[in-house]
This record gives sequence, structure tokens and C-alpha cells, in this order.
Amino acid sequence: MENLTLDETKYTPLIELDAAKGVIALTGKSYPENTFEFYKPMMEWMAEYFRTVAKDVTVINLEIIYFNSSSSKLFFDFFDLLDEVKDDHKLDINWIYDEENENAEEAGEDFIEDFEDLPIKLIVKEE
Amino acid sequence: MSDDGMLAEVDSLREHTIVTLNKLTKDIKRQHKIMERSDKRQQREYDELQKKLQEVEELGKEIAQTQREVVFTMGAIAESRSKETGNHVKRVAEYTYLFAKYYGLPEAECTLLKQASPMHDIGKVAIPDAVLNKPGRFDEAERKIMDTHAQLGYDMLQGSKRTLLKMAATVAYEHHEKWNGKGYPRQLKGEEIHIYGRITALADVFDALGSTRVYKPAWDDERIFKMFREERGEHFDPALIDIFFEHLDEFLAFRDTLKDVVS
Repeated sequence: MENLTLDETKYTPLIELDAAKGVIALTGKSYPENTFEFYKPMMEWMAEYFRTVAKDVTVINLEIIYFNSSSSKLFFDFFDLLDEVKDDHKLDINWIYDEENENAEEAGEDFIEDFEDLPIKLIVKEE
Repeated sequence: MSDDGMLAEVDSLREHTIVTLNKLTKDIKRQHKIMERSDKRQQREYDELQKKLQEVEELGKEIAQTQREVVFTMGAIAESRSKETGNHVKRVAEYTYLFAKYYGLPEAECTLLKQASPMHDIGKVAIPDAVLNKPGRFDEAERKIMDTHAQLGYDMLQGSKRTLLKMAATVAYEHHEKWNGKGYPRQLKGEEIHIYGRITALADVFDALGSTRVYKPAWDDERIFKMFREERGEHFDPALIDIFFEHLDEFLAFRDTLKDVVS
């Protein structure tokens, strides 16, 4: 299975999907014009990955500084997908935020509360 | 279809409906949550942006203020090295503002000129003390050296990209040009001389004539006015001379408030 990388833009995060290493990483802001269209390749890649080649442990690093409300909805779908595969795959989910970014911290806390069966960890970013 | 078959189908339908309704309930609740959180987040981000914007604005003001002070200080340095004393640059600044305003320049430009004109003699910092502070009249050679201050001032300032300093460069360069083409350093004529140069020339002379200097007493007003009438269209832009007489009271008012204190 091929890796998928989408470069960071002004409105979208860096997306790194590495099947060989078993890493899913999102870094940056999320204000796409058409959120679901934009994230569709990522969602499809993930579904395919977990159906076929998933590693023993998959590391999911989310470092989202700012995001709009449709991205918020997208992240629910994202965690839904993980929720569905969690029994068959070991997941290591990190919500990474800057100490000064209260919004990002709170968003992480909210997701933990919403998906209590998912092993989401809050990680304060090292300077 | 048998009853059993029908019941099985109804059961299946019921189950399916319940699943769908549960999902719908979840989605509606979720949607509500998302909106609520997004609103809260956006409000915070808005506050943060406003705060940063305010910081940037204050920084901009700070920069402008610093620039003004530096420019004014440079003018004062030039003044302190020469025989001109007291509030000369302050008065020149006010006069140039009045001329610019009545000439019809936009307000922002008038204010800039008021800030730039005090630097008209900045080139004098490069004139040797022996010449600059010589009591009495200059000989030919000394006069030539003195006259280089216009070019020197321009050379000092012309490299800048800042509007204010570019304007000051023009002022320094052209404030000794004369309307009739007999000034220096380039013998520009009429409207070839930038309006900033024409304005500062008149403002500078008006103040110099009316002030007491080590080498001359202050001229009385009538003598100044007579000279201005004679030099209308010669040394000075006729339009500016007309503005001067038309708004004489305002020029004199500034002169009074910024009078040199005799110690």
C-alpha cells in the first residue's frame, strides 16, 4: 500500500500517512474550503489501511492548531473510524498541542470525553 | 408470505429503524456540540486576533513616533552646530505646515512635511566648524563650502526608502533653490523646484530674517514684508508669497508662541 502525503497549505495541515511505519499524522491548521472533499483521500486511505496492511501498533499524531467547525465534524468521523477498528488494532493516539494554545488543549479534552473507549493521550509539545 | 416471514421482516425493519434513529440522535447531538464548541473557540480566536491587531497598531504608532523624534532630533543637531538657535526648526516646521495646507496639499502630506522640514539643514553637520561658526561674513571659498550643505543633506538622506526621509532629502536638496533659477545647488527654476523645497525655502528665510543672530539683528516686519514683495516671483514662488500675506496672522501667531527666550 502506498503512502500518502499532502503538503501543508495556508488553510490545510500537513498530512502524512505512512503504511510501512504505521503512522498517521496531521500537523497544522484546518480551514479547508470543502472539508469533506479535502479529507476524503485520507479517510479512504485509512479505511483501506486498517482493512489490509495495518501494523501491530498504529501511531496517530494529531497536532491541529486551529480548525473550523466542519473540520471538527470531520474529526468526529475520523475518531468514529478509529473507534470501529480499535478492537482489532492497537492504536496509539496522541493529541499534541502547544502549552499556550488553550483552544487546542480543550479540543483534545473534548475528544477524549467523546470517545472514552479510544486511547487518546494529551501531549504538550516540547519547545 | 407467511406470518412468520412477515414478522421476521418487521423485526428486521424495527431493528434497522432503531439503529438509524440512534445514529440520527447521535448525529443531532453531535452537531449541536460541534457548533457550541466552534462558537466558543472562534470567539476566543477572535479575541486573540483583536489583541494582536491592537499590539500591531500600537507598534506602528511607536515606530512613527520614533521616526518623528529621530528626524526632529537630527534637525536640532544640525541647528545646534550652526548659528541658528532656539526654536528655529520648530517654527519652520509650523510654517511649512501652514504653507502646505493653504497650497492645497492633502492633510497627511502637510503633516509629513511638518516633520521633514526641520531636517533642511542636516547637511551642515558635515561642514567644518571653522566655516560653520565663523563670525561675520563668509569669503568666496567659505561660501562655496557652506553651500555644499544642501547636496550633503540630500546625500545623507536620499538612500532611505521611508517616505518621511525621502521627503526630508528633497527638502534638504532644494531649500536653497530660487524661483528665478538663481539658487543652488542645481539652479532649478519655477515648478522644477519641488513644492516641498519651495515651501521650506520661504519658511526658512521668513524665520531667519525675523530672528536675531550673532551676525545680524532681527529685521522688523515691514522690512521683511517689503523684501517678500520684491522677491515674489524672483526668490520665491509667487503663490506662496500670496498665501503668506493672505494668512499673515496665522504665521505671526506661530512666531509668537514659539518665540526664542532670551537668556
